[in-house]
Amino acid sequence: MTTNTGRILRINLSSGKVSTETVPEDVARDFVGGRGYGVKYLYDEVAPGTDPLSEENKLFLVSGPLAGTMAQAVSRWIVCTKSPLTGAFARSVCGADFGAWMRFADYEIIIIEGKAAKPCYIHITPDGVKVLDAKEVWGKDTKETQAWFNSQHGNNTRAACIGPAGENLVKYAAVVSHRRTAGRCGTGAVMGSKNLKAVVITAPRALHLADTDAYNALARKQVNIIKGNDAFLNHKEWGTTSTQDVTNAIGIYPVRNFRYGQLVDFKKVVGAEYRKMRVGDIGCYSCPARCGKVHTVPSGIYKGAHSEGPEYESIWAFTGSIESDNIEASIAADELCDDLGLDTISTGNTIGFAYELYEKGLINKSDTDGLELVFGKHEPMVALVKKIALRQGIGDLLAEGTMRVAAKLDKGSDVYAIHVKGMELPAYEPRGAKSQGYNYATASVGASHCYGYAAQDIFGAPFPHPTDRFDEGNADIVIFNQNGTATNECGVICAFAGGWGWSPLYGKLLAAARGIDVYKDDAYMAKVGERLFNLERAFNIRQGLGRKDDYLPKRIRTEPLHTRQAKGEGQMVSHNDEFLDKYYSLRGWTKEGVPTEDKLKELSLEYVAKDIK
Amino acid sequence: MAAEIYIPPVLQALVNGISRVNVSGDTIGECFENMLQQYPALKPKLYDKHGKLPKGISIFLNGVSAYPNPLPKPVHDGDKIYISHIVLGG
Repeated sequence: MTTNTGRILRINLSSGKVSTETVPEDVARDFVGGRGYGVKYLYDEVAPGTDPLSEENKLFLVSGPLAGTMAQAVSRWIVCTKSPLTGAFARSVCGADFGAWMRFADYEIIIIEGKAAKPCYIHITPDGVKVLDAKEVWGKDTKETQAWFNSQHGNNTRAACIGPAGENLVKYAAVVSHRRTAGRCGTGAVMGSKNLKAVVITAPRALHLADTDAYNALARKQVNIIKGNDAFLNHKEWGTTSTQDVTNAIGIYPVRNFRYGQLVDFKKVVGAEYRKMRVGDIGCYSCPARCGKVHTVPSGIYKGAHSEGPEYESIWAFTGSIESDNIEASIAADELCDDLGLDTISTGNTIGFAYELYEKGLINKSDTDGLELVFGKHEPMVALVKKIALRQGIGDLLAEGTMRVAAKLDKGSDVYAIHVKGMELPAYEPRGAKSQGYNYATASVGASHCYGYAAQDIFGAPFPHPTDRFDEGNADIVIFNQNGTATNECGVICAFAGGWGWSPLYGKLLAAARGIDVYKDDAYMAKVGERLFNLERAFNIRQGLGRKDDYLPKRIRTEPLHTRQAKGEGQMVSHNDEFLDKYYSLRGWTKEGVPTEDKLKELSLEYVAKDIK
Repeated sequence: MAAEIYIPPVLQALVNGISRVNVSGDTIGECFENMLQQYPALKPKLYDKHGKLPKGISIFLNGVSAYPNPLPKPVHDGDKIYISHIVLGG
């Protein structure tokens, strides 16, 4: 059996040079693929001190070894780069079909270097790679852009593109494919900084597996397991459109820029209310869950708003952050974000922050182009989404994200800026789910909910052990979740699909896809996850980040949470330092959060030690 | 048999805010019946209108999935039964 370690496509937009490489077998063994390949090549190729929006930064589009196959929910893909929002490691995961199309073109990594002299797009076909003029689509939204590519190159074409937000270098611009986004970390701004509108692939379906027969036998088993799994069936019915039913009920739905943990009348935003406006569903490549629930607003001022979504995070971003219970406005804002190429989480969080600045008198109507940013009023929120993407008026300031806005305004506004490492917090209140909160604090990318999702705190998952969600001492749980996520993102498997009963097949599928048997060993794969996380940490240390950047926002540490009718009233995060001491110790890091030489040696990362001394 | 049932956060309001309930029974189903005698408000969350476990929860016995068919699974003294809300995420 021949190993299949994956091919790399490298495009330098400054020189126009295009080349291909094969991933060396030792890299495939140690890093498996997906996020593993992303961090390995980013670490090796992006130097400390690189300006994220300069031509020295690189953009890595990474598919996984299972993508494009008959196995289900394994065709997601990832964007890695140095983040313009945080200055740290960036990893942003996306769905739709693009990951499968990368594999059809027989590339697992697309590395984009340099900067084009004028707006361009990259077109990849079986006949070669071209860098083409993007003047027809520069300035267009993502829907129009992708339709144009299909009109030019045929329906067997998929694109990863930016909207106006990426072109305008909004610090939290997304990369968009179909209606899914690599939303977080500002990867769209990096693409925009390279004058790159899109990467476009036209390719017939093709499989590239080391042992196709063995792989397909395993995939058939996976399909049979999934179709009878209750968690899958529940996800198929609801997607994530009912998570707010739970988070409101337990008081961890952030409201009014993280002052409350519950909407006053949260029954108005529950999943059953969104269900009334659902008009269809859309799925990623080879996934029967079709969890993207499509909504259309039938009447009122947002009549006609139509979006694949909002999913849970976006529901929160456009209700909880400004204390609105208008779900029509949330659908309209979600559609705008996908069209314009914005991360919904950072957008909604930043808008909630702006509302509080307005409430506190730190900005006024003359600053907001006449908009009255009064909590509960949703019309200004929808207007701000567009202003941010186009950098119009106050949108130009808000496009920088909460950390930079607070630094510019000063006047004590930093307490209202709810971010970690510069990335805005998502839709789980840390004071009511503390392992989730400490995942935000220590995740390599800043405040990401899905970097080590604490299902123990939020849903009562009992493995590796149950938690008290108000306990700040569960460093082992945070590490377990973060390492497990990293292992799964080598796949790149969907975060939900890991809970559909087929996880014992994961390593076997990887082994059959690559022809590398060691992946079948769960302990080996767990170590791979830990290796990834440590290399990401080393990347961040080398960029100047460290312990000082592992703290939750000031509000979370100094103000009590108000939960209204839910349990947890008065909770605060009070032991950030003690948590970090314990977390670093368990990770084998120094008191300053630097991986020790012994730990690096254990993880076969000895070569990193000299870089982070 | 004496066992302990762990209640997920979203259902704790129905058991006076506590996170664990002491029960007795020879199977998971009997332990659930014993818990419902103590906290009848839980019943609509634990069983659907056909008397079956709903798709929205998962049951674990001593940390291991109790599926398929969790209710007849035997329970021993000191066992821990976990009810987990299915992970929805977002």
